[in-house]
Amino acid sequence: MTARRSEVQDLARRGENTLAEGRRRLREDGWCVVPEVLSKESTAQALDHLWAAAAESERRGLATYMPALDPNASNVRVFNLLDIDPLFRDLIRHPTALDLVRSLLGEEFLISNFTANIARPGSQSMPVHSDQALVMPGPWAHPWAMNIIWALTDVRLENGATLFLPGSHRFTDRSQVPGDPLPLMQPFEAPAGSIIAMEGRMWHTSGANVTAGEDRALLFGYYTAPFLRPQVNHNVTLSAQTQASLDPPMRHWLGLEAEANVGLAPEVFAADGGRREPVRVS
Amino acid sequence: MNAPMTVQALPPPAKDVEEGLAHIREHGLCVMTGVLSGPTLERAREALYRAAAHDRARGRERKFSLDYGHDESNQRVWNVLSRDPVFEDMAEHPTALAFVRAVIGWPALLGNISANITGPGGGEMVLHADQIFVPEPWSAEPQGMNVAWLLDDFTEANGATRIVPGSHKLNRAPRPDEGEVATVPLEAPAGSIVVFESRVWHKTGFNRTQDQRRAGVFAWYTKPIYRAQENWFLSLDPAIRTFASEDMLVLLGYKADGLGLVYGASPVPWTTPPPSLLESGQ
Repeated sequence: MTARRSEVQDLARRGENTLAEGRRRLREDGWCVVPEVLSKESTAQALDHLWAAAAESERRGLATYMPALDPNASNVRVFNLLDIDPLFRDLIRHPTALDLVRSLLGEEFLISNFTANIARPGSQSMPVHSDQALVMPGPWAHPWAMNIIWALTDVRLENGATLFLPGSHRFTDRSQVPGDPLPLMQPFEAPAGSIIAMEGRMWHTSGANVTAGEDRALLFGYYTAPFLRPQVNHNVTLSAQTQASLDPPMRHWLGLEAEANVGLAPEVFAADGGRREPVRVS
Repeated sequence: MNAPMTVQALPPPAKDVEEGLAHIREHGLCVMTGVLSGPTLERAREALYRAAAHDRARGRERKFSLDYGHDESNQRVWNVLSRDPVFEDMAEHPTALAFVRAVIGWPALLGNISANITGPGGGEMVLHADQIFVPEPWSAEPQGMNVAWLLDDFTEANGATRIVPGSHKLNRAPRPDEGEVATVPLEAPAGSIVVFESRVWHKTGFNRTQDQRRAGVFAWYTKPIYRAQENWFLSLDPAIRTFASEDMLVLLGYKADGLGLVYGASPVPWTTPPPSLLESGQ
């Protein structure tokens, strides 16, 4: 590991990353850190609930180790946070999180997934990737997706901070990705209770936890433009009881409603010279 | 690149899928006649007009946002998949799926299958391409395609779909000043299919007959990263999914691979009923 330490943590400590500054940085730099979104007590409570959710996930028969994603079992992944605990249903719609999401993706968006990755000592990196490059065709001209990453512990290089390639959110095709990006990558470092926001075109990888006894717990809220298929089929994953508990905005953001992919470009209507007013389906 | 000043002619009916694919590459569409015939065609036609009459009698018509609000003659029939098994036969017809596999690849999703019936004095629609929900610049490949099933003869007079052959090569949506570019009517006999990729510009034609309605069923397929227009998990008749073929389960999103997952796996077709059913005690 030859990644350089970034200035993120220092900036966070100096309190320069206000939400407005965060929005600007997210748009321009492809990422930002907003510190102190959760209090110390709320962060500790969320971490407790996360470990309880991991146990509940195992009890339900859903393994928290994914050989397809991680080279060893030191990464603990929890996939069904939204169904297991209302605390996570609150976090995914936290006003600060949604503020950042709307500022990048617009007023209409979908909650695509919400998962946890606890990097225990000995956990290793995944391959370097961008979330959009994995599934979306190029050219990657716009951010169609983003992560709101919740730091439930301090996150730093040594305990497995996510590493990102600065400026790579401007890559529009694969040829722009350096052959060996790792030496150029920087860690997203942030104190516990922070949000780290990262847009979908940023090339990144999970870090390696090289500490002797320190866990690094992150929650990954993944949001996309509304025309994309969510990573998780919430219609089926969420239990009937959970679905019945959701209010209309949550049902909308999770794609549980009949309203679906008919978002239409305004210029289509302009093409008619504005003669007639089209009728919206919904 | 500007839209062509003179409109290309339609390609002649294709003899087979291979020739049809060549026409799609060159013109953006192909026509195959006689795919439905005899009792099969009559059965499909009867099923559609019966569903349309039910909707009209019960006030269940829903307008589409690209239709004109003043038009009381044109009729949409949504989610025909839940109306009669004959439409399932269309959605997974071997010829249709041969085009799907070749034009957008496999797995693909069935985004929607609905009908458009023009009536006297109605039907004209805003010129558009079907993938306009994808922000430009578009990638070099079509992201979806339609298989239109003609259940009546499509004529210039009765509102045959109007199309700009070759416009897929512009690889963009029509601009505001291009709403009135020259189009050709997609004239073909009942029982034909018209396959058109998602970038080709088209609109419903104007039905200037006194007494003719003409019906087309449009099966819309996309690459699997896009959200389906129809939320099948909410709206599909359970009998369809219970007895669905493997191909149909793929098209409906029940064979997930990376997106649309349930606990990391594909949804099980006979899983939890939606909460609306539980709440009403059904």
